[in-house]
Order: sequence, then structure tokens, then C-alpha cells
Amino acid sequence: MAVTRERLTRALAPKAVAVIGDKKASGYSWLRSMKTFDGPLYSVQVDENEIPGIEELGVPNYKSLSDIPERIDFAVCAVPRQVAPFIVQSCVEADVGGVTLFTSGFAETGEDIGLELQDKICQIADPAGLALIGPNCMGLHVPGLGVRFNRDQPAGQQGNVGFVSQSGTHGMNFSLTGAANGLYCSTLVSFGNGIILEAADYLEYLADDPHTEVIGMYIEGAHDGRRLFRTLREVAAQKPVIIWKGGQTEGGGRAIRSHTASLASDQAIWEAMIRQVGAVAVHNLDEMIDVVKATLLTKRTQGRNLGLIAMTGGQSVVLTDAFEKAGWKVPTLSDDSYAQLSEFFNIIGGSYRNPLDAAGTIGQDPKHLDTIFEILDADQNIDAVGMELSATFMARRWQDKPEEFERLISSLKRFMAQSGKPFLTALHPSHVEEAALQARTRLQQEGIATFPSFERAANALRKASGLRSLR
Amino acid sequence: MPTEVPDNPIAAARAQQRTLLSEVEAKQLLAAAGLNVTETRLAASADEAASHASELGYPVALKVVSDSITHKTDVGGVELGIADEPALRSAWDAIQARVQEAAPDAELQGLSVQPMAEPGAEVILGVTQDQQFGPVLMFGLGGVFVEVLKDVAFRIVPLEPRDAAEMIREIQGFPILEGVRGQAAANLEAIEQMLLQLSAFAEANPDVAELDLNPVFARPDGAVAVDARILLTADS
Repeated sequence: MAVTRERLTRALAPKAVAVIGDKKASGYSWLRSMKTFDGPLYSVQVDENEIPGIEELGVPNYKSLSDIPERIDFAVCAVPRQVAPFIVQSCVEADVGGVTLFTSGFAETGEDIGLELQDKICQIADPAGLALIGPNCMGLHVPGLGVRFNRDQPAGQQGNVGFVSQSGTHGMNFSLTGAANGLYCSTLVSFGNGIILEAADYLEYLADDPHTEVIGMYIEGAHDGRRLFRTLREVAAQKPVIIWKGGQTEGGGRAIRSHTASLASDQAIWEAMIRQVGAVAVHNLDEMIDVVKATLLTKRTQGRNLGLIAMTGGQSVVLTDAFEKAGWKVPTLSDDSYAQLSEFFNIIGGSYRNPLDAAGTIGQDPKHLDTIFEILDADQNIDAVGMELSATFMARRWQDKPEEFERLISSLKRFMAQSGKPFLTALHPSHVEEAALQARTRLQQEGIATFPSFERAANALRKASGLRSLR
Repeated sequence: MPTEVPDNPIAAARAQQRTLLSEVEAKQLLAAAGLNVTETRLAASADEAASHASELGYPVALKVVSDSITHKTDVGGVELGIADEPALRSAWDAIQARVQEAAPDAELQGLSVQPMAEPGAEVILGVTQDQQFGPVLMFGLGGVFVEVLKDVAFRIVPLEPRDAAEMIREIQGFPILEGVRGQAAANLEAIEQMLLQLSAFAEANPDVAELDLNPVFARPDGAVAVDARILLTADS
């Protein structure tokens, strides 16, 4: 029986949560993580030695799910694999909406006992329409509801990034590193073996979820590739989808007699599939974060022409190199722009051909930056604007005179509000790392797209431009 | 009496427990699906070949047809640009002799006769079955380049018109199709149409495990597949 949307929604946006089988040995980590849940939280544990520790946390414990005085929408199950089928059975009997099976040791082991137990769980959950997440996974993270599987994950923050991950680690890392980059999840699911619910189910949910503005996915393989393809084609037409494919699936080992079959590597087919559905492929966590960020924080353009602002001559050269390597063009400006720039631009130790080497000019009068932005905004030769922010140069000054940095931020925000052109910044790590970190944090707070290198900025903007739903 | 080609080459191959279709069978299937292929007829004798050639019009190509030969050129089984009947008869004997030498155990169904197509940019269109996504289409620069440059693009079946247009433009060698150094541009719509026809063909024929149309001549006036290979799945 298929899991109904009502059942799935109960599981992924729960009103009451239970943790089954948490233990002192794991530091009661499930309960501690879930303490931030914005609703009633219960524990189910039969072991008398474990119960006092659970009660000390202030979480009411019951000996069985059916003893809990209210209906549970979402349960986390962290019991040994032999016990898991009984817990799943009790979830069905107690009309639980959905359950995450953190428990591992199933089909992924390749052992007969693992396969048998997984089969057994399927036979219990499937006819009941139970929204079973996993097994062998970390499950659910919904910061807006305080649902977490790790104590460092944010809580109380309504995010807008939907994330679906076959791997627990990569899901967790996205939620943690993403939050450090100012990106918060709407709903994140780590689904492991995906025996009942698979990637396509979560994608359909996220496509309809009003909080989700962009969807990221980490995937290694699909049980039903045709369904994943069809689902992605529909979902990626509505919302931006960014896909990180990990690993290589082994070929069938059959004798190949055609050119076509010999060239059709697993990676080639996945990349083609991702392009075909209108999603974008990324290859690591950093790139995932960059492209999600660019998608959320920069406007879209079909043009390829950038206006670049750098702080020194040397940086203006490599900034241009980085963007041109990523497929952007850094053209000359219009005659009108040059006429205006020539009136105030400091060409001693600076230049304004494009890129604009502008530290001296802005240093002379911060208003000049606003004027530069106005000129670039009006220039028909320019489709998007990138800017170097140099912590190496400016760290001490930003620390001594925070008002100067704040003034810079207001200039950037004013330009972003007034112009329809995408805008992004690159802020490299510097020798004064805490100043760079502070600056990055402030930029993130203000919703200004900032990247830790020119190359990452250029790549992120290019990939975000390739998303079909945004074209 | 002309050599018969069965109405349903896939059923015929299955009945004989073959998985490799002959070029004649492959082209028959593809032509029935609306793809533009060079008309290719099977001949069991030099006399029959001569009669086909006079109907199809010279110049023609002669190619060996055998279940046990995958790569015809490797065994000297191809003669191109045969101008007239005397040349045809000597080409017939030459192929028979070379194949006998290179593959003495190969059982020959005969030789195929087809008119020489007017050349164009050589591209490859292909189908394979992916374990996760099912039938997949490939497009790229064809002929000998495909093995060296591997400049190809893939799409999952079924293709939408946009997919066909995008995969042609995705390959590095796309400017060659647009016409370089005074060469006329290839008819891109004709290639797109062939890709969409091939997508429909792959969807309708799940028995097809692998398929190469290589080369397809992409010309200003259209696209034509001059060679075709179809391999069926191991089990029907």
C-alpha cells in the first residue's frame, strides 16, 4: 500500500514525537537532540536501568507506544535489528504516522539475516501504509519544528532548503555546514536503504511544501530509476533542484558490443539525467552549499556579461580569470559609463576598464561605490555584478571602524534592492581569520551572497543559471 | 527468386536464438519506424547482388552479412563505391575470399547491397539499456572519431523535442555540424527528428539491448543512417 500524503505529512511535520530505545551508552543523544521539538516529546524504553536517566532529562517515559496518551506522528527507533520488526509492528498498531529506523544491519550488510529482517519490516510496514524512513539512516531534521538528529543542528529557524540524502553523514553535514553558511533547511530527510519511502517520495513532498524554495539531494543509486527520472522532471520544472551523485554503480558485467554501450558509464548517464530534468549536478558538499546559496540569494540572468569590482590590480586580473574560466565574459563598458567614471575614478593605482580596480576610489569617498553600482546597473553591456571584498586588506580597518563595514553593507544592500542584476561577493579567508569570519557572518545575515573564493563564486553563479525552473 | 527477409526480424532472431540482427534486418526495422536509412538488400549470390544494384542504382556498397561477425571491416567484409556490374562481381569474390581467410568459421547469410549515400558530417546515434534508468539515447561525432574523442551526449528515453535539440548542441564538436571552413551546415532538424524517432523506437522495443547507427551522414538536405547494428537482450 502506498504511503498517503496525509501519512507522510504527519511524519515529516509532526505534532507529537516519540523516541524508542534511546540509551545512556549513546548519551541519550536522540532525546537530547529532540528536546528542542516544538510539541510533546515522549520516550519508549523498557529497560529499568535506562529509565531514570531519561526521566532526568524531563522526558516522560512509557513502556510501550500504546501506553502514550496521545497519537504519535513521528517516532525515532534506535533499537537492535532483531527487535526492529516488533517496534515497526507496534508503530502500526498505535497508528503512528511515520517512523525513522536508525537501526542498521539490514540489506546493506549483504547478510541473509539482514535481508530477512528487512523483508520482514517491509511486510509489516507496506500493507499498513506506514511512512517508514530508512532503515540505516539518520531520519528527519525540521529546524522550524525543532526536529533534530544532532545537537548542533539549528532549532527554531524556519529554513527554505529541502534536502534529501541517501547518506546520513552528508545530510547531517549539509544541515550543519549549511547553517554556518546561513542556509537553513525546511525539511531534511536522510533515508538510508529507502525500503518503503524513497527519494522520489520525499521530492514530491518537498515540491509541494510551501516552505521549500530550493531542493538539494545526495544520492548514490535508485531502486526505481524510471520513477526518479519522471519525478525529477516534474519537480525540477517547479523548483530548483541541485543533485550530488556519489559513487559509481558497477556495470552489469555483460559483454558490450556497441560504441553506445561502451561509452555509457554510470557517471555519464547520471550527469545526462540531471541535465535532462533541468536540475544541476554538483560534486561535493562545498559546491552544494555554493549553488544552493547562489540560487537563493542572487537574481537570475540569461546573459553572460559581468561587471567586476576588485580592490587591487592583481586581484582584478585573477578575479576576471576565474569568472572567464567558468564561462562568463568581462566586456568593456558602454561609452556612457566610461564618460561618467572618468569624472571621479582615481586612476592613480586604479583603473576602470572592467574589471574596476576601485579600492583607491572607494577609499577616497565611500559614496563612489554607490555611483559605480549605479553606472553598472544602467550599463546595457553588463548582466551581473561581482565584487571582491578583501579581508586581507580591510580586516584591521573593519575591526577598528565597524561603521565603515556597515556602510559598505548598506551600499551593497541598496544596489541589490534597486538592481535587477545578480550580485555576489567573494571574501577569501585572511590572515585575520576572525575578522573575515565576522564579515562573512554579517554578509550572510543581510542575505548577501558571499563565497570563499573567486572560483567558487563564479562556478556557483554559473550553475545556478543552469537551473530550468529559474530560466 | 530474391532472398527473403522475414517480416519481423526480432521474432526471427529469437526463433533462431540469435541476439545480433544483421544490418539488413536492423535497417528494415528502423525504416519501418520511419527513420531515414539507406535501403539495403540481402543477396545470396553475385547475380542477385547485381540485380539489386541495378535497381538501387550505382555506385553501391557491398557488405558481408553474418551472425558471427560483429565488425565487418575488421574481416575485410566491406567494399565501397562500386561503380558498375563488373566491379560488383569482382568485389563479391574479393569479399568472399577475405572473409574466408579472416573468419573461416563464420557462417555467411550473404552480402548486402546498398546505394552509396552522399557523404556528410559523420555522427553516431545509439541506444543502450541502463540498469537504473532503462533505455538511454546517445548522440555524438561518429565514424572513427567516436572511439577516440568520445564526444557524446546522453539522454534518458523518452526524449522531448527540447532534449534532442540540447543534446546535439551539448557535444564539443557541435561547430562542425554548424559548418566550419566553408562547409555547409548540417540539417539539425533532421538529426533532431531522427533522435526523437529513435527514442520512440527504443520505447516500443524493450528487446533492443544495444543499437548503433554509425555513421549517420548529417547533410544540409537531411540525415541518413548508412550503417546500423542492433543487439537484442539475452532473454526475450
